[in-house]
Amino acid sequence: MLDPHPSLPEFDYIKPKTLAEASQFLADHAGEARPLLGGTDIFVRMRDGFWKDQYLVDVKGLDGTNEISFDPAKGLTIGAGVSMNRVSAHPDVKVHYAVLAEAVDSVASYQLRSRATIVGNICNASPAGDTIGACILLGGVLNVHGLDGKRQEPLSTFFKGPGSTVLKAGDVVVSIELPLPPKGLQGTYLKLGRNKSSDLSIVGVTAIGYPDADTVSGYRVKVALASVAPTPLVVDKVEEIMAAKPITEDVIAEAAEAAFETASPIDDVRGGAKYRKLMSRNLSKKALTVVWEKLGR
Amino acid sequence: MTTEIKERIPSPIGESKPRLENDQKVTGAAIFADDIQFGNSLLYARIMHSPHPHALIKSIDTSKAEALPGVKAVVTGADFPGYLGLYLQDRHIFCRDRVRYVGDPVLGVAATSEEIAVKALDLIDVEYEVLEPVLNAEEGAKPDAPLIHPDLGNYKVANFIFPQPGTNISNHFKLRKGDVDGAWEKCSTIVERKFWVPHIQHVPIEPHTAIAQWDETGEITLWASSQSPFAQRNLLAQALGVSQSSVRVIAPKIGGGFGCKAGISMEALVVAIASKTNGRPVKLLLTREEEFHTAFVRQELIAYYKMGCDENGKILAMENTYYWGGGASTEYGVNVTRAAGYSCTGPYEVPNVKADSLCVYTNHPVGGAYRGFGMPEMHTGLEQCVDELAYKAGIDPVDIRSINCVKEGCETVTGFKMHPTGLSQCIEETAKAIQWGQKSPASAPNKRRGKGTAIMWKAPAMPPNAGSSAWVELAEDGTVNVGLGGQDLGQGAFTVMAQMAAAALGVPYESVRISSPVDTRYSPYEWQTVASRLTWSMGNAVVAAATDARRQVLDLVSEAWDEDPEDLDIRDGIVVSYKSEQEQPIKDIVVYGLPKPDDQGWLGGPIIGRGKFMPSYVTGLDAETGQGTRSVVHYTTGSQSVEVEVDLDTGCVEVLRGVSAFDVGRAINPALVEAQIEGGFVQGMSSALFEEMIMVDGFMQNPSFVDYRIATTTDAPSDLQSIIVEVPQDDGPWGARGIGEHPMVPTVAAIANAIYDAVGIRMMSPPFSAEKVYLAMLEAGIVE
Repeated sequence: MLDPHPSLPEFDYIKPKTLAEASQFLADHAGEARPLLGGTDIFVRMRDGFWKDQYLVDVKGLDGTNEISFDPAKGLTIGAGVSMNRVSAHPDVKVHYAVLAEAVDSVASYQLRSRATIVGNICNASPAGDTIGACILLGGVLNVHGLDGKRQEPLSTFFKGPGSTVLKAGDVVVSIELPLPPKGLQGTYLKLGRNKSSDLSIVGVTAIGYPDADTVSGYRVKVALASVAPTPLVVDKVEEIMAAKPITEDVIAEAAEAAFETASPIDDVRGGAKYRKLMSRNLSKKALTVVWEKLGR
Repeated sequence: MTTEIKERIPSPIGESKPRLENDQKVTGAAIFADDIQFGNSLLYARIMHSPHPHALIKSIDTSKAEALPGVKAVVTGADFPGYLGLYLQDRHIFCRDRVRYVGDPVLGVAATSEEIAVKALDLIDVEYEVLEPVLNAEEGAKPDAPLIHPDLGNYKVANFIFPQPGTNISNHFKLRKGDVDGAWEKCSTIVERKFWVPHIQHVPIEPHTAIAQWDETGEITLWASSQSPFAQRNLLAQALGVSQSSVRVIAPKIGGGFGCKAGISMEALVVAIASKTNGRPVKLLLTREEEFHTAFVRQELIAYYKMGCDENGKILAMENTYYWGGGASTEYGVNVTRAAGYSCTGPYEVPNVKADSLCVYTNHPVGGAYRGFGMPEMHTGLEQCVDELAYKAGIDPVDIRSINCVKEGCETVTGFKMHPTGLSQCIEETAKAIQWGQKSPASAPNKRRGKGTAIMWKAPAMPPNAGSSAWVELAEDGTVNVGLGGQDLGQGAFTVMAQMAAAALGVPYESVRISSPVDTRYSPYEWQTVASRLTWSMGNAVVAAATDARRQVLDLVSEAWDEDPEDLDIRDGIVVSYKSEQEQPIKDIVVYGLPKPDDQGWLGGPIIGRGKFMPSYVTGLDAETGQGTRSVVHYTTGSQSVEVEVDLDTGCVEVLRGVSAFDVGRAINPALVEAQIEGGFVQGMSSALFEEMIMVDGFMQNPSFVDYRIATTTDAPSDLQSIIVEVPQDDGPWGARGIGEHPMVPTVAAIANAIYDAVGIRMMSPPFSAEKVYLAMLEAGIVE
C-alpha cells in the first residue's frame, strides 16, 4: 500500500431511524453500502482503498443494538453496537462467559476496544478474529434483520471464507445470543502474537470444557482455532478424542495432533504456514491442559 | 592536598534536573511543525511516487492535472536539475530520467486542499520502462549487476569517500593492518560466520512534516520537523543553486528523529513545489505509509566475519567484509559504511586486520542515519562471533572481552592511540550486576533461561571539522538567554545546555532559558543534531560563550570596583569579591553597566558572550590501509548484559533483565543519561525481536504498524539497570562525551548471545521472532 488516501475518502453517512429503513437502504445500494458499527476495521480498509463504499449505514442505537442483557433462564444477548470493553466489564459475562471476556481482552488495545464490537468482529469474518472462537463454541446465534424481517443465523454455519458470510444485501445483524453455558464450564483463549500487546493473532486457540455424563471421559471438550484456515475453525476431532477415553496427557497430545492435522494455514507477513500448523498443535495442547486443570484434572 | 587541586564540579553539573520542555509536552502546549497556522493561503502538497523498484521515466503528462480547478502547481524533475547529498551528491530533488525505488518521488502537486491534490495525482500519466532491479547488496556489488547510477563517476563527493564508477559501489573503505594471512596459523581457534541484518526504520511518532514558502524576493523559509536546520539550509542552497543566506530554516519541536530527520529528504520536495506557488506556503505531511516507503531507512548489512585467537584467548586476527545495502541513494549512507570501516574490529585491540566495508546501491528505500550509525548492525554479528570464539576456545565470554578490549594507550585498528576509557570497568560492572555465571531457574518447565553479554564502541561519525557555536545574553532581570543551533529531540539537549551555561556562568539553573525554536536566521551555527555530539561539541560552545560572558561581567566589575578579577566570582547570580566582600546581583550590572569608580560616567553595557567549538585534530586516513594518526574525536564505550527466557512451546523470547554500563566521561544530568540508556536498550531490543522491513522484489510488505511491530511497554523488561561510568574525556565539558546512540549498539548481540546460552542456537539474522527461534530449535532437534 504505497499511496493510501491521506485521510478518509468521501462517503455519505446514513443514520436510519428503524431497522427496516436500514435494511431497505442497504438492499437498494447493494455493493456500495455497508453497515457501520465501531468502524475500527471499516475506516482502516476505506483509507487503504480496499473498500470503496459510498455509504456507511450506522446501525448503532437501532432497536436492541445498544443493549447487553443476561437472562438466568435463557442466556446472554449482546447488541451489535455494544463495545468490547462493555462486554468484558459486564458482571454476568465475567461469571458465566469468562472465556469470552478473556478473548475480548486480547483484541487490539483498550482504546480500540472502546469502539470495536463483537458483532463487528464476527461480520468481518476474518479468520484471525479473536472473539469468534468463543462465540462459536458457546453456541452463539445471530439475530439478523433483513428485507424479509427477522431471522436467526447460527454461527456454526455463518462463515463461508475470509471476509465472506451467509449475510445478504439488506441484512443487519442486530445482536448475538449466547445460550446459558453448560454447568461447570471452563475455558481459555491463548493468543500468539508477534509481541505482547495490540497484535493480530499468528494463531489463536479457544478451548472450553465441561462435565458431561454421556461421555467416556466424563467431559465434553472443544477447540476452535483462529488464523489457521479460511474461516474460524472448530476441530471436531478434538471433541471426539477428548470424549472417547479418560483424559490423560497422552490423550491431550493426541487431540493436539488432531488440531495440527486439521489446520490449513497460509504463509503471510505475520507467520509461515509451517509455524502456524506447529503452533496449532502446541497451543491446543497448552489450552487443553489449562482447561483440564481448571476442570479439576 | 589532592582534594584542593581536584577540579571543583560546579552546580548544577551532575544534577538530575527535569527536562525543560516537560510541561509543554505533557499539557499539549508544545508547537510542532503541523501545529503552525498559515491561514487561507496555505496549499497542500501530495507526491506521486514510483511504483517500480527500477525503471526509466519515458514520459509524464500533467496537462489534465494542471487544468483541475484548485491545482496551483505541478512540479517534476525537469524543473530541478541540481543534486542533493551530504557526503555524495547522487540524487535530484525529483527523479528526472530514472526511478530507483518503490516510493521514489516522481512529481509533486500543490492544491488548495489535500483532496484536490489527491485527485490531481490521479489525472497524471507517467510512462515507465521497467529495468531489472538490484535487491541485495552482495549481488549488487558484482561486476555484472545492473547499474543503478551510471553517472556515479560524475557526482561530487567528500574527499574521504571512495566511489567505484562503473559499479554500484559508492564507497569502498579498506583497512589493512599487520599480516592477516600469516596470523591464522598462530590462532588455536578460528570462527567464521555470515550474518544478515535487514532494513529497519526509525518510526518516529511524528511523521516528517514540512512547510515551505518562497517570497517575492526569492527568500525561502522552511518550517520542518528537523534534526538539522543548518545542514538543510546548506543542502537546499546547493541543490537549488541559491545562496545559503536566502534559505531560512525554522525547527519547531520534534516528535522523535533517531536520525531520519537528519540531512534532508522530503523537505526538498516541498521547497521545490513552493517555488511555483507565487509566495503561497505549501505543506507536506507524510502519511505513515509514505513514512515507511519514502523516508530514510537503516541500511541493511550482509557481513562476513573471520576471527581467531591464541590459546590464551588473545585475538590475533580479524578479516571482515561488510556489504551495506545503501538503497537508491547513498548520499548520507556512504559515511555509515566509512564509520563501520574505521571501527571494523569493534572495541578490541587486534594486531592483524583486513576489512572491506562496501556501500552498495540497491533498489530499496534510501538508507540514512539511524541511531548508532552502522554500529548496531556491525556489532550484531561481530559480538556473536567473539562469543562463539570464547566458547570454542574454552574461555569465559566475559573474560575474552576483558582480555581483548581497548584500553588507554593501546593502538586501535586505525593506528590511533586510545584515549582513557572505562570499558574494562563497564564489562566488570554488567557482569557483576547480571550475576554472570549463575543460572537462575526458569519460570516454567517448558522454558529455558540464558544470559548474554556484548560490548561496543562508537565514535561520532561526522566530517573532521563539524562545528558548533553559541551565544549567551543576559537580561535586566538576570535571566540568561542561550542561543544555539542544535535541536532537542527529546534527549534533553536543551536541559543539559542550560545546566552547562548555569554552571559556567555561575547563575541558578532556573534563570537560564534556551532560545528556541532554532531559526537559522537568528540562531548560531550548528552542523547537525546527530552522532551523539551535542553534549560534547555544542556543550563546549555553550560553555565557551558562558565563560566569555562571565569574563565580561568580571572585567567590568573589576574595573568598577577597582579590584583584581582573580578575587571576584559569580555565585548564584551574584558577583562577589572574596577580598572586599562586596557583592552585587548580576541583574544590576549586565544591561546598564556600572558607574565608574569616581562616579563620573559609566562602564560596560549589554553583555553578550560568544563561543564556538570545532575539533582541529582529526586527520585523514590512508585510502589503501585505513591507517592514520587520529581517525575520530573519541570513542564512547560500554557493555550490556541481559537475561532472557525462551519458550520451548512457541519460540517466544522474553527479555527479563537488561543491565547496561556506559562510560559517558561525565554525566551532566544522570537521570537523562539513564533515560538514554533505557530508551536505547528498548529500541535495540525492539530491533532484536520484532523490527524488519519485509522486502519482496523491492516492495515493502509491512508498511504499517499492524505488521511493522515495535516494542511496547509491555514487551520491555521491568528490570532495567543503568550504570554510569565516568572516565573523563580530555576535551569534553567537565569530561563529558555522548551517550545518545550507544545504548542500542550492543543489544541485539547481547540478546542473541543470551538465546545461545539458553537453548544453544546461534541466530544469524534479526529479528529473533518467535517463529524464527522455534524453527531454528526444530532444526537443531531441541523441539519436535
